[in-house]
Amino acid sequence: MENRLIITKYSEQYYPPTPNNFTLFLRRSIFFQLIRFFILNYKIMKIVIKGHS
Amino acid sequence: MANIVVLGAGIAGHTAAAYLQKGLNKKEHKITVISPTPTYQWIPSNIWVGVGKMTPEEIKFDLRPLYKKWGIEFIQAKAQSFYPEGDEHINTGFVEVEYNNEENKGEKIKVAYDYLINATGPKLNFEATEGLIPGNGNIASVCTFGHASHAWELLQSKLDKMKNGEKQIFVIGTGHPTATCQGAAFEYILNVDFEIKKRGLEKQAQVIWITNEYELGDFGMGGAFIPKGGFISNTKLFAESYFVERNITWIKRAGVKKLDDHTIYYENLDGEYLEQPYDFAMLIPGFAGHGFKAYDKTGKDISDKLFAPNGLMKVDADYTPKPFEEWTIKDWPETYQNPSYHNIFAPGIAFAPPHSISKPMTSKNGTPIFASAPRTGMPSGIMGKVTADNIINWIKTGNATMIHKASMGRMGAACIVSAGYGMRKGTAATMTVSPVVPDWEKFPQWGRDIKTTMGEPGLAGHWLKWLMHYMFLYKAKGLPFWWMIPE
Ligand SMILES: Cc1cc2nc3c(=O)[nH]c(=O)nc-3n(C[C@H](O)[C@H](O)[C@H](O)COP(=O)(O)OP(=O)(O)OC[C@H]3O[C@@H](n4cnc5c(N)ncnc54)[C@H](O)[C@@H]3O)c2cc1C
Repeated sequence: MENRLIITKYSEQYYPPTPNNFTLFLRRSIFFQLIRFFILNYKIMKIVIKGHS
Repeated sequence: MANIVVLGAGIAGHTAAAYLQKGLNKKEHKITVISPTPTYQWIPSNIWVGVGKMTPEEIKFDLRPLYKKWGIEFIQAKAQSFYPEGDEHINTGFVEVEYNNEENKGEKIKVAYDYLINATGPKLNFEATEGLIPGNGNIASVCTFGHASHAWELLQSKLDKMKNGEKQIFVIGTGHPTATCQGAAFEYILNVDFEIKKRGLEKQAQVIWITNEYELGDFGMGGAFIPKGGFISNTKLFAESYFVERNITWIKRAGVKKLDDHTIYYENLDGEYLEQPYDFAMLIPGFAGHGFKAYDKTGKDISDKLFAPNGLMKVDADYTPKPFEEWTIKDWPETYQNPSYHNIFAPGIAFAPPHSISKPMTSKNGTPIFASAPRTGMPSGIMGKVTADNIINWIKTGNATMIHKASMGRMGAACIVSAGYGMRKGTAATMTVSPVVPDWEKFPQWGRDIKTTMGEPGLAGHWLKWLMHYMFLYKAKGLPFWWMIPE
């Protein structure tokens, strides 16, 4: 959030979305990330298996 | 007896060699691997060598004991010329190679083959950008473990300067107007930024991304659409958001032409010639073929039969020039077999793509400025395996039909973009796209299967990247049940 203050208004950097504190918390939470770890593994495996013919 | 020669022991070549030795009886058939160094390196982890989180020893190993165990002959040499029809003395195809080991350095020999796999990857074409010399002044690279190790030394000297209150400008990105491999540079800039912030030095640092991409997040694959937070958004937003969160600024649509010790000179799509000062630069060079030559039986130069103008090998792609609007996934190769000489294959970066994936753009002065097509590790490994499977089938059945296929227009790819190392504080974005080359016929709305395409930042991504480092090195080392680990 604080980045917005140092970014020049109307520059390219002024417009993209930035994560809020809750999103940042989820990205760092060991418990939440452990669950995501297994889900991401599953999603990657689906792609890997499809790629081999 | 079949005689198979593999050129290159990178992801594609080593994977092919591993499956060939597994699928063929080595008493009956001969497998030879030719590579200028006897080392296998897990290139994706160079990023961590470049920020001092791993040593080169942790990401590489000596292939010779493994090849001995596998019954593969290893020749430490560089391929130079191809004779697919043989010559007046030798009746089968052969390659002329130059030894690169201590004892016979510079000596040339001819290595005959029945089947040839050219998996020599890219030539890192630093020469194509004036002054882009890794190790020179303030210029670093992470393309090899040696380069990455130097990058870390240079980075440390800059961190020390910042500790002493000096301001430093870090410029990271692409170093040629048509460079590819943006993903690697993207990872490196995020890791450098992470290390700067970890030391509380962000006030002294300005971190800048410079890229030939039309928009951020293009990554040479025309960007991708990912579902997130109730929206389907382009990777442009994803990449920009990552940078804004970290206060990294960017210069896009930039074709870097020249560097001196403190300035990067570039042209943009508007045709402006601009300069960017820097104190530390890590710019990915252009990729090209190795400049191999090919000759027919009479000694006539037939290089254009084997190689595209960029020096990469021609395979079963459709190279007919056509406008961007007419590109389809059918242009992309499936078997990596050379159309003129069916016993020659080129998996991995060694094959010439039919065209880029991103739309080619030209500046007002006529300079092409856009990202070339990437071929990341996972597709390169899959291509290596498919090539080995087809050769094994050909040898065992005598049937030359290529039954195994792996087109970048059908296969997906997973890429974990590291953004900081640490089991508690680390982070990485897990990205998957399927297929790599967008298929606008099958997926008219988003170009790819939106259900399997994702981009998710978080600590879990770091765990995955870390796990993959050990998993893929385990596989490459041929440890028990290595073949159960997919490419
Ligand atoms: C810094 C960096 C980070 C990356 N990170 C990722 C990532 O996170 N995920 C991902 O999927 N991909 C990543 N990539 C891309 C990935 O490394 C490549 O896709 C992959 O290495 C390509 O495999 P290859 O076998 O075609 O080529 P290479 O791995 O380059 O292998 C080429 C081999 O050929 C040998 N060779 C060269 N010249 C000759 C010659 N004349 N004769 C014989 N042998 C020769 C070389 O020594 C080498 O052994 C990254 C790349 C870089 C540079």
